[in-house]
Order: sequence, then structure tokens, then C-alpha cells
Amino acid sequence: MFVLAVQQGLNGLVLGSLYVLVALGLTLVYGVLVQINFAHADFVMIGAFSAYFVTHALHGDYLLSLAAAGAVGALLGYLVNAAIFAPLLGKGSELRPLIATIGVSVMLENGALALLGPVPYAFATRYSAEVIRFGPLYLTAQSVIILAVAATAIVLLHGFLRFTFLGKALRAVAQDRETAGLMGIAPDRLIMLTFIIGSALAGLGGALLAPVLVLTPFAGTSVIVKAFAIVIIGGFGNIEGTILAGLLVGLIEAMTTQVLDPGLIDIVVFGLLLAMLVIRPTGLIAERREENV
Amino acid sequence: MTPLLEATALDLAYGPVAVCRDLSFQVMAGEAVALIGANGAGKTTTLRAVAGLLAPRAGTLRFAGQTIDRLPSHARLGLGIALVPEGRRVFPFLTVRENLEMGGFRHRHQRRHVARLIERGFAWFPRLRERAGQRAGTLSGGEQQMLALARAMMSEPRLLCLDEPSLGLAPIVVQDIFRTIAAINRDGTSILLVEQNAHYAFATAVRGYVLRGGSIVAAGPTAALRSDERVRAAYLGGSVGASGGI
Repeated sequence: MFVLAVQQGLNGLVLGSLYVLVALGLTLVYGVLVQINFAHADFVMIGAFSAYFVTHALHGDYLLSLAAAGAVGALLGYLVNAAIFAPLLGKGSELRPLIATIGVSVMLENGALALLGPVPYAFATRYSAEVIRFGPLYLTAQSVIILAVAATAIVLLHGFLRFTFLGKALRAVAQDRETAGLMGIAPDRLIMLTFIIGSALAGLGGALLAPVLVLTPFAGTSVIVKAFAIVIIGGFGNIEGTILAGLLVGLIEAMTTQVLDPGLIDIVVFGLLLAMLVIRPTGLIAERREENV
Repeated sequence: MTPLLEATALDLAYGPVAVCRDLSFQVMAGEAVALIGANGAGKTTTLRAVAGLLAPRAGTLRFAGQTIDRLPSHARLGLGIALVPEGRRVFPFLTVRENLEMGGFRHRHQRRHVARLIERGFAWFPRLRERAGQRAGTLSGGEQQMLALARAMMSEPRLLCLDEPSLGLAPIVVQDIFRTIAAINRDGTSILLVEQNAHYAFATAVRGYVLRGGSIVAAGPTAALRSDERVRAAYLGGSVGASGGI
């Protein structure tokens, strides 16, 4: 029983770290821009397909495809910011970019549908079938990759924000864009950097999810709804809160599967979300919620 | 000799709301100049225009011979204009040291130089050294003002603009801050000061401009402005020379 609980806990962490990767991009962009990019879900989906085509069509290694998916995500983030958010920056319109990204999302999904069709793609990597045993516990090599890549990405992001000049400048822009400009920091460049980092994480998350996902042009939607819940539970714009909430939601899902029924996952997760909104609308780490990024 | 900063016939507005009309003023290299006037006279707006936070509707701004009125604030900082903004505006969730580092953003590729400039700031205000690892949002108002001043000096500006550095602070802290401002000016940095506390404004600046309703109504050496009855009566209260402001 104990072993089983630990095993489910591990599975939950694997799932949770995937959620964290996707949710971090949302929370980063919100923290810096106080805007939401609704096409983020489709960056996840396109990241997943990028990984699929690099491994299947180009016969590349899956690990290589992760880098490719991250790069595709970064490019998409660059384009969406350059086309939609940057031109409206400081123009006082909050709704227009939001609606525009919904439009981008619809276009990307239907474009993918026209190109790829509605039938789910079977994405099996050689790592999915390979089981690694740790004493009484089992993990697929895919899960180990997910944990390792996600942990690396999170540690790198955290280190970037805490210890590099550019990362601190990004936090400065999030806290006070105008004053950051007075420091000689060009806010629009750091906003672009935020989009690139956040969207690369989404692409990477998609590539890591791809082998465990029902891979269709609408694959991003199921993940993004959870990611939004995580961002809210963690406190919008709060990086640490988002990481914590992502892992927590992963664990809760795993435990729901174990103790209750897999069909109840969404009910439990969104029940938790509603409870959070009532009890602690400021998010898990409430005393620090004002720090965006 | 061309002025370091030269504003010519500036019109400033927030959207449709006109704030300043036909402002012309200069700051010479090494000079300390004060903008004085009652609340709502347009002093803060003028400083915002100089620092690049507000594009003038008409008129020109030249700095060191270069037209700057279309440059964004981060580009003006690169030329040598720094602003200590109204309300201090420290980054509340960055530590004191990180705030100073942000002030030195233009020197980010010379880490040793940044470290030296941080040391200079700590020498001005030893309190900041004690609080170096603390989040700036947890500092007292006086400490935040010290930090905002030290942060602005991290870029080694040629012109330091200050917006009400004494606002809401205890007299002893104000003294400390103005002593440092005077030292900064002696070391060759030009100062453009907005200050309601007439005593400190006149003690620091050699020249002043008096604003009323968005226009300059008097200008000259601070010694002359100080004794000008109209200026005294209208903007400075009855107690010029005492430590109180308006």
C-alpha cells in the first residue's frame, strides 16, 4: 500500500512537472505584461507535433526533437508578441490583444486540423516502452526524461531570474515598467524575451507530453485548462506559487486516480480551484503574491 | 558655451489635458537648477518630459547638443540623464543591492565597475549597506529615498533630475540626502531639482525657475528669487530660510 502510494506520488510529480512547464509561460507573460496569451495552448500542441515530426518523419532522436519543439515554441512566442502585444503596448487597450490571441488560437488549431486531420497520432518513442526499476518502484524512461528536463528547465529559469543581470531586469520590468525604463532597461526587449522563454517552455512541455497525450490539433486545450487552474491556484504571476501548484495538481490527479476514480480528476482539480478562489483568492503563497515574476 | 540641457518652447500635455505651455529653460554643465512652484504648477510633468516619460506636444529638448525629445527614457539614460522619480519608485521585490544593480544596468558588462559604484552608494548611505540583502519594499521612506538617489547615480549621469526628494521625510533624513546631493553636484554632476522645501531648494541650487499654472513666471539666481517678494508671497510661504516648506 505504501509502495503504491509512493509510486502514484512519482507519477503525480511527472504529470505535475509537465503542467508546471506549460503554466510557467502563462504566469511569466502575465507577470510582466498583465496579459494572457490564449494561443499558449496551441504552442503546446505545435511543440508536440514538432517533436512528432522530428522523430518520425525526419528519424531524429526524441531528445533532439525536444530542442526543436522548444525552438518552434520560442519562434511562435516571438511572432505573437511582435504581431499582437508589442504594437498595442502602452496603448491602454487590454482587451484587444486578448481577443486577438483567441483569434490566433482558432487559426492555429484549424490550420493544424486542415493540415494534419482529426485522427490522433500515435507517438511512441523508444523511451516510452523502456521501464526503469528503482527498488520496488517503476518509471518509464520517458517519465525520467520528463522529470529531468522539467527540473533542469525550472532550475535554469529560477537561476536566470535570481542571479543574472538580465533576469533581475526582467523582474524589474514586471514590478515597475516605467521605472525600469529610467534605469536604461528597454522594457519592450525584456517583454519579448519573456514571450520567447515562456513559449519555448510551452513547446518543450508539448514535446514532453506528446507521447502520453492524445495527439490531435486540439491537444493543447485539455492541458491549458489545467494550466490556467494552476496559475490561479499559485497566484497569477507568481513563479514559485505556480511551480508548487503545478506539482500539487499533478499529485492530486495521481491520488484521485488511485483512491477514487480517474474520471473524477477534473471534478477534484476544479473543485480545488473554486475552493482556492473562495478561501485564498491571492494564491498559495499569498504574502508574496504581489511579486510578479 | 552651449547648455547641457536646453528646453525650448515646450508644450506638455497628458492626452487632451494641457499642463505646461511654452517652457524654456537651461541647465549648464555642472550647474544645479531648481524648479519651484506650488502643487499642480507642472514641475513633475516637466521632469517627466526631460527624462523621457512624456513626449512633448510641441517644442524641443536638446541634451549635450543633441535633440532628444523623441527618445525613450532608456535611450536618454544612455546619454546621461537620470531621474529620481516622484514617490521614489524603488523595485519593492528586489533587494537593495539588486535595485542598485538595476541602476547600473548600462554597466552590466563591467561587473567590477558596478561593484565599485555600489560601494560608492554604500559610502554615501551606510544604512543601505546594512540593508543590502533586504527587499526594498520593506525599507522606511527615508531609506527608500536614499536608495532611489544611489540607484540613479549608478548610471553615472551627467544630469541628475530629482523630484521632491524631501517629500514625507524626517528633517534629519532630508539633511542627509541634501548633503549628498550637494556633494554629487560638487563632483561635477548637473542637478535639476524639483523641491517644495524652499530652504533646501535654495541652498542646493544656484539658479531657479518659478512655475505657475504651467508657465515660467520668474527666473534667476536663487539669491534674487529668495528675496523677491512676489515669489515669496505666492509660492514659498512666509518662512524662507526656515527649514519648513510650503
